Amino acid sequence: MRTFVGICLVLSLALSVGVVAQERGVTAEEVVIGTSMPLSGPAAYWGAVGRGMEAYARFLNDQGGIHGRRLRVVVRDDSYLPPRAAANVRELVERVGVFAIVGLIGTANAFAVRDYIVRNEVVWVTPTADASMWYGFRDKKYLFVTYPSYVEEAKVLVDYAARQLGAKTVAVFYQNDLYGQKGLLGAKQGAVRSRVRVVAQVPYEVTQADVSSEAVRLRESRADAVLLYATPRHGALIVREMAKIGYTPKLLSSFTLGDPIMFALAGEAWNGVISTAFFPLPGTGDNRVDQALAVLTRIDPALRQNPFNALAGWAFMEPFVEGLRRAGRDLTKQRFVQAMESIRNWDGEVIRGVTFGPDRRQGINRVFLTRAEGGRYTRLTDWVTYSVGF
Amino acid sequence: MTLAAQYVANGLASGGLYALVALGIVLLYRSSRVLNFAHGDLCTLGAFLALSALQAGWPYAASVAAGLVGAGLASAGFYQVLVRPVREGTVLGLVITTLGFALFLGGFMAWVWGTDTKPFPSPMSDVRVYRLGGVVISELTAGSLAAALVLVALLSLLVQRTPLGLAMRAVAQNPVAAQLLGVPARRVLAATWALAGMLGASAGVLLAPVLLLDPFMMLDPFLKGFAAAVLGGMDSLPGAVVGGLTLGVAESLFAGYVSVKFKATLSFLVIVAVLLLKPEGLFGRPFERRV
Repeated sequence: MRTFVGICLVLSLALSVGVVAQERGVTAEEVVIGTSMPLSGPAAYWGAVGRGMEAYARFLNDQGGIHGRRLRVVVRDDSYLPPRAAANVRELVERVGVFAIVGLIGTANAFAVRDYIVRNEVVWVTPTADASMWYGFRDKKYLFVTYPSYVEEAKVLVDYAARQLGAKTVAVFYQNDLYGQKGLLGAKQGAVRSRVRVVAQVPYEVTQADVSSEAVRLRESRADAVLLYATPRHGALIVREMAKIGYTPKLLSSFTLGDPIMFALAGEAWNGVISTAFFPLPGTGDNRVDQALAVLTRIDPALRQNPFNALAGWAFMEPFVEGLRRAGRDLTKQRFVQAMESIRNWDGEVIRGVTFGPDRRQGINRVFLTRAEGGRYTRLTDWVTYSVGF
Repeated sequence: MTLAAQYVANGLASGGLYALVALGIVLLYRSSRVLNFAHGDLCTLGAFLALSALQAGWPYAASVAAGLVGAGLASAGFYQVLVRPVREGTVLGLVITTLGFALFLGGFMAWVWGTDTKPFPSPMSDVRVYRLGGVVISELTAGSLAAALVLVALLSLLVQRTPLGLAMRAVAQNPVAAQLLGVPARRVLAATWALAGMLGASAGVLLAPVLLLDPFMMLDPFLKGFAAAVLGGMDSLPGAVVGGLTLGVAESLFAGYVSVKFKATLSFLVIVAVLLLKPEGLFGRPFERRV
C-alpha cells in the first residue's frame, strides 16, 4: 500500500510539473487568444473588428501559422456592456484558457476588466480603449498598448481647429461613458493650451435614438467648431441634424468615425470633416495597407462594408503576432514579454512605428489628420506626436 | 420663443414615432393581455425586409408592402406557434416568451443582414427643409409625422367601424362570451397579432431613414413607445397617440431647458410617476374587478 501511495505521489508531482511547464493557451499545434467586443446592441457596428481579426488569423494560418502553431481567435459578445465584458474575460481566461487577450473594445469595458487581467497576470495586447487610462498605473508587465489616447487625440484636434481653422470656440458632442468623457477631457485640456473656449458639452447615451434636441443645443452654443466622440450612427445623425437646422460649424471627429461608411450614413454633411488616423488609411496611396485590405476582403467579403474596422482588427493583432514571431518556437509568457520589449520602431503591414521596451508599454504616440471629401479621406498632415505617457 | 417652438417641433416629430410604436403594444395588450417585448424587433424586421426588397429592385411601395406583410406574418406566426400554447401560463411566462422571441429576432437579423449601420432610402428628403418662422422641419420629419397620423386614423377606423374591429373588441372584452356568440376568437387574435406586426413594420420603415437601420435600431424607440403606452393607458388607442406625442415634446423641452444629460431618464420617470399617481394612465379605464 505504501509503495502504491508513493508511486501516486511521484506521478502526480511529475504531472503537475508537466502542467506548469505547459503555458496556458499554447499547445504544439495552436495558440489561443481571446477578445470581447460588441457583436450585438447599440455599438454592434464595431464588431467588424473581430471579423477582421479572425480573417487575419486565417490568412496567417493558411501560410502555416507562427512557428508551426495555428492562431485560434475566440471572440465573445458583450453588447458593449462592461459587466458582460468582465464575465467574458473571466470565461476566456478560466474556462477557454487563452494565452492572451488581444484587443477588447470599449474604454468602459476595458476599465471594468483591467484589475482582473492585471491581477491574474494575463498577457493583454492593445486594449481598444483610451490609452490615458494607463498613465501612472503600475503592474503593466504583461500589457502592450498600440491604441491612441482619446485625451491626446482631442488635444490635437482642438489645436488644429484653433490654428488652422481659426476657431475661437468649440463644442463637444460626446458619448456619456468613458470613451466620450475622455474625449471631452482632452478637448478641455486642449482648449486651455490653444486658448479657445469650450462653450458647450452635449452628451448622449449610447442607446439613445433621437438627437434632434442635442443638435439645437449645439446650435445655440454658436461654437465655431464641434468635436464628435460618438458611434458612427450618432456621429452621422448629429451631423445631419445640425445641417438640417442650418448650423454648419467646422467638424472634427475621433478616428473611431474614420470609416467611409460615414459618407453613406451622413451624406453630404460628412464632407469637410477633419478626423485623425493612427495607421495609413486604405486608398490613400499606401500599397501595404491596400494589400492587407485585399487579403481581408478575399477571406471575408462582408468586410468590404467597413474597411477601417477590418484593418483595425489587423492592426490590433499585428504587434501580438510580431511578438510571437520574435519569441520563437519555445513559447512562454516570459519569452513573449521579452520579445515584445525588443520591438523598436517596428513597421507592420498596417500599424507603423511601434516601440516597446522594459519601461515602455505605450507602443505608439502619434496620429495624423485627415479630411473627408467626396467619399474619401485624404491625408492633411504628417504624424503629430505626443509625449509617451507609460 | 422660436427656440421653444423648435424644441416642440422636434418633440412632435419623435413623439409621432413613439406613438406608432405604442399603438402596436396597446393593440396587442388590450386584445390579448400580452405585453409583447418583441414588438421593437418586429418593427426592425419589417424595415429589413423592405430594404432587401428595395435592393432587389422592387418599387418603393411594393417593398414597403413586402416589409409589412413579412412582419405581419412573423407576428401572427409567433402567436400561433408560441404564444397560444403558453397563454394559459402565467403573465411572467408570457413576458419571458416574448423576450425570448425578441432575442431570437435580434440574433436572426444580425446573422442575415449583419450588424453594420445602413442608410435606408426614403422618397422624402432629409435635407430639404420647411421653415415656419424660425422653426425648421425637414420634409422627411414632416412626412413621417403625417404618415404616423394617417396610420393612427386608419387603425381607429378599422377598430371602430369594421366587422373585424368589432370582433377584436368583443374578444378583448370577454373572449369566452365572444366565442360562445360565434366569434372565431383564435383567428381574430391571430389577425390582431398580424395587424400589430404590420403596424410595427410601418413604424420601422418610417423610423429607419431617420435613425439609420441596424438590427438593434429599436432598442430606444421601443422603450419610449412602452413609456408612451403606460402614460396614455395600456388599453387606450387614443391614449397611445397622446402619450407618444406628450412624451416626445416633454423629452425635447427637458433636453433643451433642464438637462440634456438626463433626457434619456425622463421616460422612466414618467413610467414611475404614472404608476404612482394614475396607474391606469391618462385615458385608460381604472382597474376594477367585481367579486
